[in-house]
Amino acid sequence: MARNLATASLSLAALALAPSAAAQGRLAFVSCPIVRDTSSVPCWLSEYDGELYYLGIQTDVSAEFNPPWLGHMALVEGAPKAGNRICGGLVLDDVKVSVMPELSPECDTVLMAEERYELGFEPPRPPGPSGGRLAFSPPAAPPPPEPPFVAQTFDVYFPFETSVNFKTPNALQAVLAYAEAVGATRIEVTGHRAAVRLSDGTVLEEQPGMAARRAREVAGMFRGLIPTVERIDQVVDESAEPGDWRDRKVAITIYP
Amino acid sequence: MRFGASLAMTAALLTLGAAGLHAQDSVPSGGRAWWDPGEGASFPQRLDYDNPTGTLRLFNRDGAFETAGHAFFEPIGTNGRACVSCHQPADGMSLSVRTIRERWQATGGTDPIFAAIDGANCPSLPQAEEASHSLLLQRGLFRIAMPWPPRNPFGEGAIEPEFDIEVVRDPATCNLDPQYGLASANPTVSVYRRPRVVGNLPYVAHTNFGVGPFVGKTGEPTLRDPATGLPTSMNLMADARTATLATQAADAGITHLELATAMTPQQHAEIDRFEQQLFVAQAAHGTGGSLLLGEGGKAFGPENLAAGDVGVLGNNTTRWVFPVDPAWATPQPGLTDEQNEMRASIFRGQQIFHFRTFWIRDSMHLNTVGLGNPTKRTCATCHGMHMTGLDTVNGWMDIGTTNLPWAREVPLNPWNDEQEVMPLFKITCHDDVAPHPFLGRVIYTQDPGRALVSGKCYDVGAIVMQQFRGLAARAPYFSNGSASDIDEIVDFYDRRYNIQYTRQERTDLANFLGSL
Repeated sequence: MARNLATASLSLAALALAPSAAAQGRLAFVSCPIVRDTSSVPCWLSEYDGELYYLGIQTDVSAEFNPPWLGHMALVEGAPKAGNRICGGLVLDDVKVSVMPELSPECDTVLMAEERYELGFEPPRPPGPSGGRLAFSPPAAPPPPEPPFVAQTFDVYFPFETSVNFKTPNALQAVLAYAEAVGATRIEVTGHRAAVRLSDGTVLEEQPGMAARRAREVAGMFRGLIPTVERIDQVVDESAEPGDWRDRKVAITIYP
Repeated sequence: MRFGASLAMTAALLTLGAAGLHAQDSVPSGGRAWWDPGEGASFPQRLDYDNPTGTLRLFNRDGAFETAGHAFFEPIGTNGRACVSCHQPADGMSLSVRTIRERWQATGGTDPIFAAIDGANCPSLPQAEEASHSLLLQRGLFRIAMPWPPRNPFGEGAIEPEFDIEVVRDPATCNLDPQYGLASANPTVSVYRRPRVVGNLPYVAHTNFGVGPFVGKTGEPTLRDPATGLPTSMNLMADARTATLATQAADAGITHLELATAMTPQQHAEIDRFEQQLFVAQAAHGTGGSLLLGEGGKAFGPENLAAGDVGVLGNNTTRWVFPVDPAWATPQPGLTDEQNEMRASIFRGQQIFHFRTFWIRDSMHLNTVGLGNPTKRTCATCHGMHMTGLDTVNGWMDIGTTNLPWAREVPLNPWNDEQEVMPLFKITCHDDVAPHPFLGRVIYTQDPGRALVSGKCYDVGAIVMQQFRGLAARAPYFSNGSASDIDEIVDFYDRRYNIQYTRQERTDLANFLGSL
């Protein structure tokens, strides 16, 4: 029902009110995710304004794309890739999918496998045992910093209305490596709260307090981790100007 | 009695050939075998016990030793218990409900395992009455008293929980008890859990793959070893509340043995050394014969566990979780038809475990860690650690063993006189935190699990999974003893995830699990 309402709420007028997303050729919408089985791994879809979009496939924890959850709406942000379809859905480039925290039991669509919707490529990870490695290799570690050491800021991003999660430790690897290499004495964690203008013109804001939570939880991850650190400061930016996924972040500044 | 040979078992061993069974230094036993605290005995390098599925073997990698004076085997506390009281060799170093009932019968309820502190539903109940120990006698459950709100594991004081907890049902009486309950001067939540296996612990306490500064499923800081400062697996206890074998022993000394003073460093060292070298697994199947004979027995027996790679992911085709050789699928010379058929069934069970996909849904800390909800995977997805089926990373998740609607509950109707024995709590997550991803803001649970330590709404009912070894020796299963036999384990998963196993698949899977 909510998916229908979300779809129905889209109008051409609303689209006209969404200059930022439209200008970038990106869509942003909240809708129920849909899972479609295949003879291999399932693929994930979402419907918006009468079009079915392909979000990605099930792989493993190493993937950039993590499938959403039935039982929840999802915020989908991505750029339609004309003509390119997988599992029957139009491919979205640079797709970001955030699971909305409140339960939406109406999001419960599982589509059976159909021959015409087979993946057409070998998934990097089958639904059973792997070939002995993760689906995706982690990015190569940057070269160790050389003196003179300077303060450096790292951005760590989050899905909508989410703070520290299973992906955060990996995202912090480069930060920790830099902090250890330069013998960091102070760390400043600035938590940000964000908003996104949907393709129908609606502005979706994260809950007040999200910036403080992000700052508090990320700062907590550094506690006691690097012996040279004397201070961990938290800064909170609760402003929530409409933007995109890059605003849902903490900025971590490492001071030598 | 303990080392009394069984003629039937001896005959079976001779039939199979003794080469794989180290007959010269293994000690077969014919029946039940209770180890009394402080009795002082020899613990041989290999010790075999019959159980309904076959034979369990314990293997001391460091060789035989005398238990007299050993801190694991001596009643070092004030209530007459030793560690071995609740970690019995014949029960796979856990304690089966069958043994518990036998002890009640044999001692009239005076065995120290029935101590008021945790062997009774509540210390305030009349201890001589059987009903006061119903959770232990019916489900094999000991009382675990958790402070509320939870203590801060990283500092002083308490943490502020994300939820409120109410007692909805309290058949054991302790959660509403004026002295021991939630409204007492020391607010306490009593939950009831099975004793975990003290064997194969190098796997459980590994610091290899998946163990780092942060918990891989949540990003929260990992508990650290107070002695070394290094991150720990947090897989020892059902709620991951203790970091290491040493901290667990210290905690158990106080809460289970009622030690008057802290353990000495020597006692700690003895217990730690014993636990680091003891391996436990089935070595023979009642129908299939020796699990170690012929080709491909690398998955079985404690010696293979002792020689295995610790703390590595086995959910892959290069290093199986349980490496049963495909030779088991075809008849092998020298074995009877019956033995070959059972071995083929066990092999099919191993294949089901690794390859039979099903939709895993609404399971906290599994569907939320990048796989999506639902995810089409297999048993080995979660039970992925080579040789044990543990989770390699910090392994708590909620599959519904304690949370309603999946937890086992007695049906309420006018025609049923049976009463539910487990407590029931109502959890209400606060408005300023996200609801539980699959259960919402109001959750009913028999045991909040990890949430009693973390205070997190999303941890309600999350339980650290247990290893698969020696299952045949230590029923019942799951942290709340809700599966009375291995078939009921399979049945739970079948219902929970709508797997739709065929009868043959269920049989094969149960045969496989019973042989581990």
